[in-house]
Amino acid sequence: MDFFVSLVIAGACVGSVYALVAVGLNMTFWTTKTLNFGQGAVMMLSAMSTALLVQYGLSDVVSIVFGLLLVALTGVLVERIAIRPALKTAGSMGWVIATLGFGIVIQGVTARYFGSQAVAFPEVLFQVQDVVTIWGQSISLQYLAVLCISLVLIIVLECLTRFTVLGTAIQACAQDMELAVVQGLPVNLIISGSFVLSSLLAGVAGILVAQISGTVDPAFGFELVMFGFVAAVLGGMGNSGGALLGGIILGITSKLVGGYISTAAEHGIAFGLLILMLAIRPQGFFGRAEVNKA
Amino acid sequence: MNTLREKLTTLLTNKYLQIFFLLTLLVGAGYMKAGTLQILSFALISILFTQSIYILTGMTGQISLGHAAFFGVGAYGTAILSKTLGLSLLFSIPIAGIAASLVAFILSYPAGRVKEVYLAMMTLGFGQIFLEVARELTALTGGVMGLSGVPSAGLGTLIVLGMKLSTVDYFQFLLLITACSVIFVRNFSQSRLGRSLFLVHYSELAAGSVGIVRRQTKQLAYALSGLFAGFAGAFYAHLVGYLGPDSFTISRSIEVLVIAIVGGLWSIGGQILSAIFFTFLPEQLQVFTQYQFIAYGLILTFTLILFRRGIGGLLFSASRFIRTSIRKVSDKNKISSDFLSIKANHTNILVKDITMKFGGLVAVNHVSLDIPARQITALVGPNGSGKSTLVNVIAGVFPPTAGRVLLNDSDVTSRSDAQMAKLGVIRTFQDPRLVPHFTVRENILLGAHAQMSYSWLEAGLGLPRAYKQELLALEQCDSIIELLDIAEVADQPVESLPYGYRRMTELGRALMARPRVILLDEPAAGLSDLEMQSLGVILKKLKSLGITILLIEHHMDFLADLVDEVVVLDSGSIIFRGTMLAMREDAAVIEAYLGTEGVEHA
Repeated sequence: MDFFVSLVIAGACVGSVYALVAVGLNMTFWTTKTLNFGQGAVMMLSAMSTALLVQYGLSDVVSIVFGLLLVALTGVLVERIAIRPALKTAGSMGWVIATLGFGIVIQGVTARYFGSQAVAFPEVLFQVQDVVTIWGQSISLQYLAVLCISLVLIIVLECLTRFTVLGTAIQACAQDMELAVVQGLPVNLIISGSFVLSSLLAGVAGILVAQISGTVDPAFGFELVMFGFVAAVLGGMGNSGGALLGGIILGITSKLVGGYISTAAEHGIAFGLLILMLAIRPQGFFGRAEVNKA
Repeated sequence: MNTLREKLTTLLTNKYLQIFFLLTLLVGAGYMKAGTLQILSFALISILFTQSIYILTGMTGQISLGHAAFFGVGAYGTAILSKTLGLSLLFSIPIAGIAASLVAFILSYPAGRVKEVYLAMMTLGFGQIFLEVARELTALTGGVMGLSGVPSAGLGTLIVLGMKLSTVDYFQFLLLITACSVIFVRNFSQSRLGRSLFLVHYSELAAGSVGIVRRQTKQLAYALSGLFAGFAGAFYAHLVGYLGPDSFTISRSIEVLVIAIVGGLWSIGGQILSAIFFTFLPEQLQVFTQYQFIAYGLILTFTLILFRRGIGGLLFSASRFIRTSIRKVSDKNKISSDFLSIKANHTNILVKDITMKFGGLVAVNHVSLDIPARQITALVGPNGSGKSTLVNVIAGVFPPTAGRVLLNDSDVTSRSDAQMAKLGVIRTFQDPRLVPHFTVRENILLGAHAQMSYSWLEAGLGLPRAYKQELLALEQCDSIIELLDIAEVADQPVESLPYGYRRMTELGRALMARPRVILLDEPAAGLSDLEMQSLGVILKKLKSLGITILLIEHHMDFLADLVDEVVVLDSGSIIFRGTMLAMREDAAVIEAYLGTEGVEHA
């Protein structure tokens, strides 16, 4: 029983990070119906630069801020270089491949100049051995902190999109881009903003995961962003609440499979879920099917 | 530049030169250094693998980020069969290829249900699943330690029919297989099935409208693509002699995509050059290996945006999709367009009480309509009155919410668009939906898909049945081109032509599908007065051939001396039916177009 509970808790914590990644993907999906397939590299970039800066002797906070600034800039670049021109000329295949390529460039440059070895990630949030005991169950404080940060971020974002002018503007773009342009919304700025926000979320997620795993290497984000896809698709692309639930369901399922069946199947099951969900219910558990009139 | 391209293309597609080149390589292999032979073998495998992307992504437009999985199935398949079961590679390689094809075929079911982003995610996930399986199924694949001792020419352990194959033998064998594959894929791309993949790529709706069954078409594309990827993998396994999961990661999927994109997604020739280039570059330029990953990333980021047609587009003139040997024969034969005439007396459509709702919107509301045989019926009405929706329902694009459609008194409600097309109900679209880089002739020939029946194998091997059916279709195509009076542009790509020609091309494609009933959605929109006149003449000719015509149109002058009857639709309901003259006087029609106030003041 204890084993089960600990798996569920660990799953929920990890799942909340997947949800964070998924919410980030949703951001750009709202504004442009695109995703950054190189988002994994963005996660790696923030975690890697934080780890390296701490190694150089900067304080944790400064390093993290710098890492996040770096990914925010990356968000702007991805949109300018890989998304905007591709949307004009090459259709969906264009931006999928362009963003994938951009991610590979980031990963390649990092590997080339900082080596492809894993770098130790500093203990920013508590220590590995810090635990609290709740109902006789000892829980790692790092895991709990990750869960809390993710949840708070997702809730804050949800409130922002629901109750602020900025949120309304983003929703307007999501509904009807042309109308938004006609209404005089600074659409390009909003799109750029959505990519910055998306990258920031990915950056935070990268740092959180690196904190749990303890190390970061150039190939670090690849599987992570795939889990983000799974979470987003489970909940329905563009649905924040869905992404949260999808992430947590994914986290718990894969931990349980890993704990009871085989750790080897832990990742496979996630991708299996992805294919199954896309085939059976592409709109996700919580999305509504679009009504199409040709 | 264009003439230079043409010259280069003619030179490189010269049959004798190709045979000479092939023979030189075959003979020369015996005198090459082991290292060169090895790299050349890798280049051939790369070419085989790229063919697989050409079919799936280039032709069908289906992105795949997990192609390494099919490659891996082929590699592990033949390795396990030959190493563990001791099967000869004459059996193990084909079986492995078919296994990969089967895996791809199975993947086509979930993949056929999603598009674009979702397809990219799905194939990415699929690639990862394969990798996990390869890592964990230790008993079969050797797990992360890999599978060593696969019979290979390099190790001298490759024995076929009692003979030990040397690396030279293996290279020659591989070269012949690759050459055959390239010819096969080229033939296939110039067949009814190859062309249908392109139409599914550009417009699934248009594909359905000429009787192409989308699902089947995509399944074929996946299965064939898997087959070539599997072959490539199988040959790879016997070349290197050792397989580890690291050879089948996303990097390999990306590499083949890079090769295909740089070569030009639509160009077999370009992809061959690109495959050779990317195999030799890291070998010749040691520096490149350090930056390989970065270079791949940069190529992916910018090529599709800046350099869409790749090497193929730069060096060669665009590929054509009709076999030249058949063109040469068909150009000499002339047949009359009377083959279009309908012998049977009855081809009428009866629409009974059709209602079509989209969510809460009622687009068509209890409409009953009789479209009499051998007549031209016009459907008019203000924008949003439900005309196009009605045509979509009749053509089988949407199953109606309620009501029935009868064709010659048999119930055809809720048949798919492809089924309706096969029954002879053919439609065109408000905006022409064509394959942009196809010529007018190739686009029109797409309409003949359902009347031809030869298989992918006959297409690839260029067997007589394929030849005969293509020839007949081409002759018919020529006479339709004659009828539409567009012979002067027939061999130009439609993307380079003015709008009027594209409309005519689409009409031609519909005619090529041998319509008994033709549904034309605003055929005159965007045409000049002169073009409109000739369209009128053509439509009258079609009527005289016995084809039943329904057309949606706004141009009243165009309709005036053309149609037998006019039906006016407003807000989803029929408000008038009769002659053009009576319509002009009808109060309800005037009200629908001008509003009530207009009538009062008049």
